[in-house]
Amino acid sequence: MTLQLLISGFSLGAVYALIAVGFAIVFSIFKFSNIAHGGMISACAFIGYFFQSSFEEPPPFIVTALFTTGVGVLMALLIDTIAYRNIRKKQAPGLYYFLMSITVAILIEQILSVFFGKNLHTYAPIFSSTTFSIGGLRFSSIDTLIMVISLAILSALIFVINKTKIGLAIRTVAISPSTSQLMGINSSVVIMAVFAIAGALAGISGVLLGTKFSVYPSLGPSMMTKGFIVSVIGGLGSLGGAIVAAIALGVVEIFLTYWLGSLSTPIVLFGIMLLFLTVRPEGISGRFAKDKV
Amino acid sequence: MSNYQLSLIMLACISIITVCGVFAITSLAGMFSLGQASYMAISAYLTFCIARYQNLPVWVTSIIGLAGCALVAFVIGMPTLRLRRDYLALMTIGFGQMVQSIIILLDKYTNAAIGFSKIPKVNNLVYIILAITVLIVFMVRNLKYSRFGRMCIALKNDDIAARSFGIDVHGLRVKIYVIASLIAGVGGICYGLRNRVISPDAFDWSLSAEMQILLFFGGTNSLTGSVISAACLKVLPEFLKGVKLFGIDLQNCKTIIYCLLIIVVINLRTKGLLGERELSLSFLRGLFAGKPRDREGGEST
Repeated sequence: MTLQLLISGFSLGAVYALIAVGFAIVFSIFKFSNIAHGGMISACAFIGYFFQSSFEEPPPFIVTALFTTGVGVLMALLIDTIAYRNIRKKQAPGLYYFLMSITVAILIEQILSVFFGKNLHTYAPIFSSTTFSIGGLRFSSIDTLIMVISLAILSALIFVINKTKIGLAIRTVAISPSTSQLMGINSSVVIMAVFAIAGALAGISGVLLGTKFSVYPSLGPSMMTKGFIVSVIGGLGSLGGAIVAAIALGVVEIFLTYWLGSLSTPIVLFGIMLLFLTVRPEGISGRFAKDKV
Repeated sequence: MSNYQLSLIMLACISIITVCGVFAITSLAGMFSLGQASYMAISAYLTFCIARYQNLPVWVTSIIGLAGCALVAFVIGMPTLRLRRDYLALMTIGFGQMVQSIIILLDKYTNAAIGFSKIPKVNNLVYIILAITVLIVFMVRNLKYSRFGRMCIALKNDDIAARSFGIDVHGLRVKIYVIASLIAGVGGICYGLRNRVISPDAFDWSLSAEMQILLFFGGTNSLTGSVISAACLKVLPEFLKGVKLFGIDLQNCKTIIYCLLIIVVINLRTKGLLGERELSLSFLRGLFAGKPRDREGGEST
């Protein structure tokens, strides 16, 4: 039983990691908390669902996932254009970025709940049986699939950030946008790349969450809360810390739900977060995002 | 006046009270709190549940409710406000979820998601709420122009510089956070008295976010601007009742309309409609005489 809980916690943590990384990558560049990420996740979950149900025979899961990822990228670029581009041009303080992201998050949630919120939608099942067993242990097939996909995407992302040229540029802009511009880095391209990555992550996590749970307007924002807890514990803007914290949170949450029930879990999690901030405010990664030196 | 008009006035007043709370924390101290609705919930539930189960009058228990609010704000604020500003916003979202879970967990007393409706009726409620609103707006105005408010504005513009001038940054942040939560608590009690029913769903994070939106619509640093936009934007959707566009009831879309409005306003006029100015007699006189005026409240960061 314990091992099974551990595995389902791991898979939940992998999804949290996808969400938290999409959030952390925007934070590392712009130093603001992109709350709109949660809205994008719900929107992508809905789009994926409608894409899938527009066919008579549901297309393979991979097609839906790829399509939604593409839509997520486009949506992220659109949000950047309507919400952030103008205030970036005016070099407005961070407060306004934050306000815009709240506004976009509520806008998406409201549009979804006014127009599509009346009934619950569920994705077509991917597997014929919900569980499979190896050596006497029963695994949930969807959880395992989610875990494999999340880990694959996260490793690809870590490779892109650490080994490629655009990843180097992203890391440089995260340290100092103006200096990196002096070094010949086109920061507007980097900014678009960051939003595209965040959008792709939102798209894929929307589809995965929609398949695991069902599709409803507050799906993204409610998951986003977990993403926040993860990024606070992991250290704001740190990708590695976010992944470690996400896995830990997933495991802890599954165990807490098993022991205490799903209602008390948010209370205990919040307590843990508050305690953690008191003891180690810089997060697991130890890199503290400072306003200025 | 008919009951409907009275209830509209009360709606506008409650909106003004809550936006004043957000003004104290966001415009004066430059911090984002998305947990204001949770403080409304805490004080409302404490007040009305104790009033019901201990048979005490509401004005006694409202003191207990507000004290509870302040205590919770202090406990949450102590560790969080030591950190970067972003942490507060993130923490308060988690806090909101926690408060909702607690309310649902204590369903023996709070009646969970169905809503707690055993709220005593108060006569002449509209005068009481109007008086409270005027008092709160006056207090927040005094806060802005007092020494305390100027210290907050210094803190907002640059906390390191503020510290170098001998301002206790952390203590000041905790104080303004507790004050803002208290004002939200007052709003919550008024909300309960007006609606006569409170349910956990009414106090989720989108209500807190709506307050922020109303504040920024009126003007980042302008108390009069935010008061006017809080009252107008909250009441205007009532006139959309029954208006249909493409077969969609516009009343349902009121939040969508808010959001589109604020996106347009921030894109065109980043600091909100009134920006940093206050709508006062001297401002109007200066406007017609065409004299340039000093900015009040400092630049926002």
